[in-house]
Amino acid sequence: MNFEFSDDQEQLAQAVQRWVERGYGFERRTAIARAGGFSAEAWGEIAELGLLGLGTSEDDGGMAMGPVAAMLAMEALGRGLVLEPVAAVALVAASVLAQAPAQVRARWTPRVASGDARVVLAYQERAARYRLDHVDTRAVAAGDAWTLAGAKSLVPIGDQADAFVVSARTSGDADDANGIALFLVERSAAGVQTRGYALQDGSRAAELTLAGAPATLLVPPGPALATLQLAIDTGIAALAAEAIGVMDKLFELTVAYMNTRKQFGVAIGSFQALRHRVADMKMQLELARSMSYYATLRLAADPAVRRRAVAQAKVQLGQSARYLGQQAIQLHGGIGMTDEYIASHYFKRLTTMEMQFGDTLHHLGEVSARMLETAGVFA
Amino acid sequence: MDLEFTPQQQAFRADVRAWVRASLPPDIGHKVRHGLRQSRDDMQRWARILGAKGWLGHAWPTEFGGPGWDAIERHLFEEECALAGAPRIVPFGPVMVAPVIMAFGSAEQQRRFLPGIASGDVWWSQGYSEPGSGSDLASVKTRAVREGDRYIVNGQKTWTTFGQHGDWIFCLVRTSTEGKPQAGISFLLIDMKSPGVTVRPIVLMDGEAEVNEVFFDDVQVPVDNLVGEENQGWTYAKYLLAHERTNIADVNRSKRELERLKRLAQQEGVWDDLRFRDQVALLEVDVVALEMMVLRVLSAQAGGRKALDVAGLLKIKGSEIQQRCAELQMLAGGAFSLPFIFEAMEAGWQGDFVGGPQYAPLAANYLNLRKTTIYGGSNEVQRNIVAQTILGV
Repeated sequence: MNFEFSDDQEQLAQAVQRWVERGYGFERRTAIARAGGFSAEAWGEIAELGLLGLGTSEDDGGMAMGPVAAMLAMEALGRGLVLEPVAAVALVAASVLAQAPAQVRARWTPRVASGDARVVLAYQERAARYRLDHVDTRAVAAGDAWTLAGAKSLVPIGDQADAFVVSARTSGDADDANGIALFLVERSAAGVQTRGYALQDGSRAAELTLAGAPATLLVPPGPALATLQLAIDTGIAALAAEAIGVMDKLFELTVAYMNTRKQFGVAIGSFQALRHRVADMKMQLELARSMSYYATLRLAADPAVRRRAVAQAKVQLGQSARYLGQQAIQLHGGIGMTDEYIASHYFKRLTTMEMQFGDTLHHLGEVSARMLETAGVFA
Repeated sequence: MDLEFTPQQQAFRADVRAWVRASLPPDIGHKVRHGLRQSRDDMQRWARILGAKGWLGHAWPTEFGGPGWDAIERHLFEEECALAGAPRIVPFGPVMVAPVIMAFGSAEQQRRFLPGIASGDVWWSQGYSEPGSGSDLASVKTRAVREGDRYIVNGQKTWTTFGQHGDWIFCLVRTSTEGKPQAGISFLLIDMKSPGVTVRPIVLMDGEAEVNEVFFDDVQVPVDNLVGEENQGWTYAKYLLAHERTNIADVNRSKRELERLKRLAQQEGVWDDLRFRDQVALLEVDVVALEMMVLRVLSAQAGGRKALDVAGLLKIKGSEIQQRCAELQMLAGGAFSLPFIFEAMEAGWQGDFVGGPQYAPLAANYLNLRKTTIYGGSNEVQRNIVAQTILGV
């Protein structure tokens, strides 16, 4: 049992941190957000750092260093509020592509890892809420080929992506856990339409409409749902790590503000009512950090163990992000409400994160349904 | 990063588990696991069993007879004791005063006091709090005036846990009123059988007399019982508090109690009520997060890197979890937690308890555990300390 990072992991974290501090300042970020929420130029810089290969094995053209390295990279990206969806492509979509037939893998994974192809997961449907097994999008076989019909929502950088990993059913009703498969659909294909928009945190998403769009089968019904769940859990672990970076930085900003802002002739950080709030924020930060580690260290575990740990982490994350975020704004006072000052952007990022991959109540339900007689980290 | 314990650590755990399960008297384990009343004899029997094995002072350095375990081994030992239902080690001797005597006491004091602590034969109490000195500990007023080779001690200590059982008590006493309050405090070891020492139990809201007032009325204490230097007691007290904090999260016991909560909820049928079960789920997330935080601290200690400065957080969260768990256990019992029959807290009590005797401890434990956010440095004081490390003074 140890929580030390290896030298390689530390070096990666420092490299990302340097890029975030020198290359992704608030002004650049604001410009990217105003231009739509995605910068191909920044994407290229991220690719140069090697981050887009973090979830792809060396054999498939990546530089996977394992979940802990990915966690540290995400934390550093979170500190800089990086808008480009590194995890969505490099970890989430890549985890599905890793299960694809060799030919498909050979065609896509090296280009994902190098930044030449942006592939994202398109699974969210209007009526599904946070369920993965509610799928209305239909897949129809025509000889060896497939076509898909349906609609997916909130697809990260949907109108800037080259291809989508799409959940669609080959049989059954919308709520049937059987009959769900995963396909690859290229954005340039016939019958594919996207409509892009910004999210509250400035990042980019899109609605995806599929009308008889040609598709390649990635994972057949049966294993596909488990593959999808693994991709989502991978995304949650990455999101938790990113959120630690977001909270860490927002906490730093708040503490610095409290030591400079004066009212009644003294720094507001001298007031006990506010000091206790800071202690409580630190508590939420450290609990969330602990659970971020836990989710990451359980990603490779048996699916039931993994699912429980990840759901627990998302519950902690949701509680921590909301408390720390709301208090950070409160302690900043009016300046915290402004668009001009960076704190509000951290707050909006945290708010967005709570609802991605299932919100706190959804995952509390997951924890609740999966409790065992025993309790604790090793239960 | 690696979550799993090494094969050596797992083997160590297996050995400890086998020994604890074989050595813990079943009647004592039954009381602990069911939240029933423990007598002085129960606690001391277990202390002596540990003492005979050399594990009562399990954090002691080997030169003083400790087993030489590292932080992770100590954690595994404490976890196995907790999960088996062993009584909490009464900390005042082996965990609190012994490290102070080792660090600051004379060789003669070490020879005189440590063997009795290590064996579990001598019961120590803690004389810190006073009626006017709770969180503001440095304001202690109990006076020790030197006359020749003795101190004459006058004053009062309070909230002395198990003081009615104590053979000896270590006290913070005022030996000077000059300078800052911290500068005039000395650390004195007092035989509780000395003439002039009076112990008066304080009945708490659960009906139990767990804490006491201790009065000192012209008590004569040989100067040989002064630890270290006169007026340096505050330094030793702070050193002691640092030792007290190592297992302050008490997460192992909370894991055991959470398992008990789940069993209770199932027996009562309230497990099927999702509103209730979600509350248990929230507690479970808290317990896992706290345990991860404890493991992070242990890893930092074992790795010899900069220690994580989260002791205050561990105390705050650990105590809140203990309280919440007891609260949910009581709520699981529902209205059948309400009857108050003092005798029903005794193991094997044969009386007629509405609903069944298993309900007797639920409310009592809830009431009793309100103490956890107050003692050991109240959670508000802990927040002050945490904030100070973040914001500065």
